Amino acid sequence: MNWFQLLVLVVLVLALLVTLAATVRGWATRREAIVWAVICLAVAAATLEPERLIAPIARALGIGRGADLVFYTVAVVMLIGFWMTYIRLRFLRRQITLLVRQLALMEGKRELGDR
Amino acid sequence: MPSTPENLQPPPSPDELKRNAVIVVPAYNEEAVVARVVSDLLHHFPRVVVVDDGSADKTAATARSAGAMVIRHPINRGQGAALQTGIEFALAQGARYIVTFDADGQHQAGDVIRLLEPLIRGECDVTLGSRFLGEARNLPASRKWLLRMGVWFTRWVNGLRLTDTHNGLRAFSRSAAEKLDIQLDGMAHASEIIDFISRNRLSFREVPVEIHYTEYSLAKGQTTRGILRVAIQYLLDKVVR
Repeated sequence: MNWFQLLVLVVLVLALLVTLAATVRGWATRREAIVWAVICLAVAAATLEPERLIAPIARALGIGRGADLVFYTVAVVMLIGFWMTYIRLRFLRRQITLLVRQLALMEGKRELGDR
Repeated sequence: MPSTPENLQPPPSPDELKRNAVIVVPAYNEEAVVARVVSDLLHHFPRVVVVDDGSADKTAATARSAGAMVIRHPINRGQGAALQTGIEFALAQGARYIVTFDADGQHQAGDVIRLLEPLIRGECDVTLGSRFLGEARNLPASRKWLLRMGVWFTRWVNGLRLTDTHNGLRAFSRSAAEKLDIQLDGMAHASEIIDFISRNRLSFREVPVEIHYTEYSLAKGQTTRGILRVAIQYLLDKVVR
């Protein structure tokens, strides 16, 4: 094991501990915790055995190096993630505005009455 | 649209007209000028609604003591959101004509009647104030070019030939206002309203109005960077929707 692999493993163990704590406190559901744990384990496996797990997939896809495959995948996943977060944020903003508007109208009608 | 039942009725008397119009004034931290704006408007029209968009200062209290109806957004949601709230409130109050009017003192209350005239005669659904048909006092050259760009931008996106796309002084007939649903909370609503007019094929007319630029209104107005942000937000929204 090299230093990089050790570093990644330490970070993953910390992430798992945080997930566990969050699940115990009820901040995350069991299903979310399991999904996170599976992702962490997959990353750990890929970090420890890149030649056996990642390189064959990269070669099969015609990318060549395993590290490039990981890089491209991360770029695509992040792009999709940002886009989904933007849509979600936009939706939330809209809901807040509608809520604020209802409050303002209710208050206004109560104070001023329908003339 | 020329033949709504409303238009077949005899033209209302000036008093009736004034009672049927509600002026919507969106205001965010405008305590310094809102009282004057409200009292100028009340001079001509009995029903003025100030939408306090979550101001941190005494905008609401000042506007109320000047005689306006005041409704409040508990938190700031932007001018587009405040306009939509004010328009919905005006509709609930039974308004037949709805005018939007900026709170920073750049519009003239006397111009409102000219905006309403074509609506009352049933000649169109929406009237838009234009400072380039009218008079813009103390308009800085940089601002003029920025507004020109807004006009070109609109021509490019909507194909509508307007002389002033970003003027806060507008009037809607009741039926047009009922269809309006401003979804862009921030400043991009100006372009959104033009989209709305073109999408619903509403008939509109530009009416010359005076804009008085003061140090105050310029400071409250948009910066060049702000306008770029607004344009990006607007285009992004077009992609998402």
